Amino acid sequence: MTSEVEFVEGQPAVVLDGVSMTYQVPTTAQDSASPRKPRGLRRLLGRQRNVSVIALKDISLVVNRGESVGIIGRNGSGKSTLMKLINGRVPPTAGAVYASSRPTLLGVSAALVPDLSGHENIVLGCLAMGMTRAEIDRKYEDIVSVSGLAESIGLPMRTYSSGMAARLQFAIATAVDTEILLIDEALNTGDDQFKDRTKAKMDELREKAGCVFLVSHSLDTIREMCSRVLWLDDGEIIMDGDPVEVIKWYRTFTKYLSAGDRVLALKTRRRMINNLKVPAVLARESGRRSSA
Amino acid sequence: MNIERPKNTTAGATTVPTSVDLRGLTRVGAKPVFLDYLVALWDYRHFIYFNARASVQTSNSRDRLGNVWLILNPVLNGITFYLIFGVLLHVSRGMENFLGFLLIGVFLFQMSSRSISAGARAIRTNLKVIQAFNFPRAALLFAVNLRELLASVPVVISLLLLILLFPPTEPVSLLWLLVLPALLLQTLFNLGVGLILARVVARVSDVGNILSFAIRFWMYGSCVIFPITLFGAFPLLKGLIEINPLYQLLTIVRTAVLDNQFPQWQSWAVLTAWALGVLAVGLVYFWQGEESYGRDE
Repeated sequence: MTSEVEFVEGQPAVVLDGVSMTYQVPTTAQDSASPRKPRGLRRLLGRQRNVSVIALKDISLVVNRGESVGIIGRNGSGKSTLMKLINGRVPPTAGAVYASSRPTLLGVSAALVPDLSGHENIVLGCLAMGMTRAEIDRKYEDIVSVSGLAESIGLPMRTYSSGMAARLQFAIATAVDTEILLIDEALNTGDDQFKDRTKAKMDELREKAGCVFLVSHSLDTIREMCSRVLWLDDGEIIMDGDPVEVIKWYRTFTKYLSAGDRVLALKTRRRMINNLKVPAVLARESGRRSSA
Repeated sequence: MNIERPKNTTAGATTVPTSVDLRGLTRVGAKPVFLDYLVALWDYRHFIYFNARASVQTSNSRDRLGNVWLILNPVLNGITFYLIFGVLLHVSRGMENFLGFLLIGVFLFQMSSRSISAGARAIRTNLKVIQAFNFPRAALLFAVNLRELLASVPVVISLLLLILLFPPTEPVSLLWLLVLPALLLQTLFNLGVGLILARVVARVSDVGNILSFAIRFWMYGSCVIFPITLFGAFPLLKGLIEINPLYQLLTIVRTAVLDNQFPQWQSWAVLTAWALGVLAVGLVYFWQGEESYGRDE
């Protein structure tokens, strides 16, 4: 532990200050301590017992403008929860998330208004993001070309495949100059042609000093698109840093796990955690560096 | 999974005090102050209008008759009620134009019941849009009510045509224009109730199940089918009905259209007080819950 205070110049895009998340979820599993059937009112209502599931443990993070952060980890490690917290869709059970503007989350479920055509969904989505009609008219062609749906733009969205819907939502969400963009697996549904276009669009976003978070199981996608990678496991950050380095150690970890060698896997995990530096966020009042 | 690890898992990590400039950053999901919220709603007026117009156009797009249903629905409804209460049960009690009385009641009540139940479900039906985009959520309720107002144009026209068509016919007069301010007040009232119910239903969806029963009960308390003279023997019940905004709305429209008289100021006063009061309460109440809409449970 050092007493030296790390100093973040300028204004960061996203700050997570000691964020934890615990879900209360119903379970059908029998409690081994009391293997009784539910009784009384609970049985009458057909409700199940709730258990606490810890999804994230005390996460602190400072992300600057222009960074694109990839998030990797096993299933259930808390990646999607982290994205929902940054988006504000879920309130954290402890801690707080600060952002320079409201982050936009692109998920896998991309159907907006199924009965409206792609064209109308574009207009509706853009209006929902606060664009004016003139702006929409100016950017419309751009959006259609990013989505690559020129032929089917007049069809109702319920006729779209999930990949097409995801493309359209990506195109809409990136049309406005989103400062902070969260992408959760959405790119995996696109074909190769679309991947090239999204890559170009994401580079453009990054250049506009925006900030991108990307969750993906495809480590190649992460390495290609991100400048920084977080490795989450069991609700905590294990590593935070250079994509090549983090992905290398994550691969080592999963290799040990799939070989059934828990001891080595956990040793790797512990070693990485020991090297990790966690920021303890101190809000500073003045913009200049203080003498202390 | 039984992974063995040290008690305090982050013990290994080094904590670095980090000075961060948080000014200019806002807590994600925090709601704006009330006045800013109203301004934001005004900024989203194009969204509201587009949303409303698009859903009017598509609401019947899967039906073969399409938007004809906007008129056919209340007409069939009116005929059903007429057959049951007018022909079979003889509720008219010597009323001069019972069909006109009934049609106005059924058409206008249906407009309120539709907007209020659609408003109550607004958060749930628009979950995708809420989760994808960041806009003042009350805009959805405004859109629902604007949609019903737009959809009510053909309905009201067909209502007036039916009244002209079926005997005894009423003479057309300028007083018929009073229907417009009455409908506007009705819409404001529906919007207010929708705002309140939307937050309640978003929180406890069970309320949505009760709503249709409550609305049916409210229908009988609004003199949609029976004239208020039926309640002469029950002064308390009669008094309750008289402070019911929907009863006053029906009275205003019936007096203007069927009796060719200017509706009493008391009716206007009750309706206006309800409309503005409920809208004010609804806006504040809905705004207070702004942070909670669209969250995963």
